[in-house]
Amino acid sequence: MNPSASNDPNGISRRGFLQLALGWAAGTLAIVASAAGAVRFLVPNVLFEPSLIFKAGKPEDFPDGSVTFLESERVFLVRQGNTYRCLSAICTHLGCTVNRAEKGYHCPCHGSVFDEQGSVKSGPAPRGLAWFQVTLSKDNRLLVDKSRTVAADQYLVLPTKV
Amino acid sequence: MGRSIFRVGLPQSNLERSQAMTSSFLLHIQPAKVHKHSIKAGYSLGLGLISLYLFFILIGTGVLLMFYYVPSTERAYNEMKDLQFVVSAGLLIRNMHRWAAHLMVLFVMLHLCRVFYTGAYKRPREFNWIIGVGLFLLTLGLSFTGYLLPWDQLAFWAITVGTNIAGYAPIIGPKVKYLLLGGNVVGQEALTRFYALHVIVLPTLALMMVAVHLWRVRKDGGLSRPDESGDVIEQIPLGQLPTNKSYGLMELARGTTPQVGKNPEDEVFSWPHLVFREILLFLLVAVVVLFLAIFWNAPLEEYANPIYPPNPAKAPWYFLGLQELVSYSAFWGGVVIPGLLVTALVLLPYLDRKRVGVGRWFARERVMANSIFTICLLAAIVFTIIGTYFRGPSWSWVEPWQQPPAVTEGH
Repeated sequence: MNPSASNDPNGISRRGFLQLALGWAAGTLAIVASAAGAVRFLVPNVLFEPSLIFKAGKPEDFPDGSVTFLESERVFLVRQGNTYRCLSAICTHLGCTVNRAEKGYHCPCHGSVFDEQGSVKSGPAPRGLAWFQVTLSKDNRLLVDKSRTVAADQYLVLPTKV
Repeated sequence: MGRSIFRVGLPQSNLERSQAMTSSFLLHIQPAKVHKHSIKAGYSLGLGLISLYLFFILIGTGVLLMFYYVPSTERAYNEMKDLQFVVSAGLLIRNMHRWAAHLMVLFVMLHLCRVFYTGAYKRPREFNWIIGVGLFLLTLGLSFTGYLLPWDQLAFWAITVGTNIAGYAPIIGPKVKYLLLGGNVVGQEALTRFYALHVIVLPTLALMMVAVHLWRVRKDGGLSRPDESGDVIEQIPLGQLPTNKSYGLMELARGTTPQVGKNPEDEVFSWPHLVFREILLFLLVAVVVLFLAIFWNAPLEEYANPIYPPNPAKAPWYFLGLQELVSYSAFWGGVVIPGLLVTALVLLPYLDRKRVGVGRWFARERVMANSIFTICLLAAIVFTIIGTYFRGPSWSWVEPWQQPPAVTEGH
């Protein structure tokens, strides 16, 4: 601060105030902008993660009444009659892989229990397991989209020819 | 030759004993004379110093490990195996790092308890208490980020669970998780980030905060003492230096310095009384860490498998109390309760302001504060014990003296 800019020895002159305000504003802005830039730098723009859409296989690969764990995708493929559904195997509590139990699913990490419909029966899980959209691809394969969740009673129904 | 390195010879007189402290770079951060009460082993138990020594051991062994370790999901696990079977003393160095890390968490916690039970966080040491709380959190952060690096099952699932807990925090939680993992899943990006945090960001922060912590211990008048209660000299006006000591100029650095009881006859020369005790304590810590590292190996489970969590999947022991809480509710147990506890720790010196019972263990005047703290501490210990010994597969209740039930369910 230039001392001659102040006329009043006890107070602060208009020029002095403006200089001070400008200095602080510029300094604050510089720090905030740098911090924001650094944080933005750390947010990845491209993810090298597996695609959320995958082909599960031919419909006839899954026997009637079966629940098949697809390891690499961490989902269960559920077939009942000619209806197909896909259930997430990722526990909604803290992301462990749930195990198929006799009736429903159990999480090994914190003991959440889910029923056949994926709803929480007991344990700390806040939500039921997610159901993913299942469609049929042009080359007659089950196509699962893990980015689209559907209601538990939404099926892919195929004409019974198998 | 010796003189050119050490500047003064081995001290023969009191003057030289002072000079030994002030003229050495490593020793000058400590006072030339120290209060008799401060070097009583039964008062401080040396817990802070032990934590610092463990931190030094961690830096030393950690730097050595860095010469082999590669933060790659494909190579990290193999490097662990190499350290175990191929590298000379590799297993020992890794074991020392692991044991020193566990011990550091333990001793930082014990140090926090000591400072609480002796009322040492009170004025003028409030801010140093907050730095201490920050160092406690940094210790946990260092431990947590280091946990992922071996890339075994233990590492992968502990970090999956841990980062999902962070995701439960309101509003910023999912963003923090995304930023921490560099994506949506624990993968290569997460390993790179945890590595950078573990080997440079957090240690540098910790080192700087340790420096401030130690500096403040000195500026706030040394270790807390019973005879300083109620007497804080707010501001020493220039030209009115205390006349009871010959090195009063140092007091100019800060106004609030407990003066009472700081008479020359209550103090001893740091050389040799303090310095030799410190060296002895370091040797003791080093021996204990070496002993543990020789006889007990750091665990290494199977290669990380993102599909199958181990059953039960458990966090490191110091987070098992938290995991037990999280098994009731992730939001309340994982975010609200820890958040409230940390907030309470930070605000403590500003809430409990009466300067009574400072510098004594379990002072009668502080029975209320000590009781509340003890209840919280006991709760944490009980939850940790339950999480450690009483939880079996699928986090079911298991009594440790029983055979754990066989896991029957599968895919």
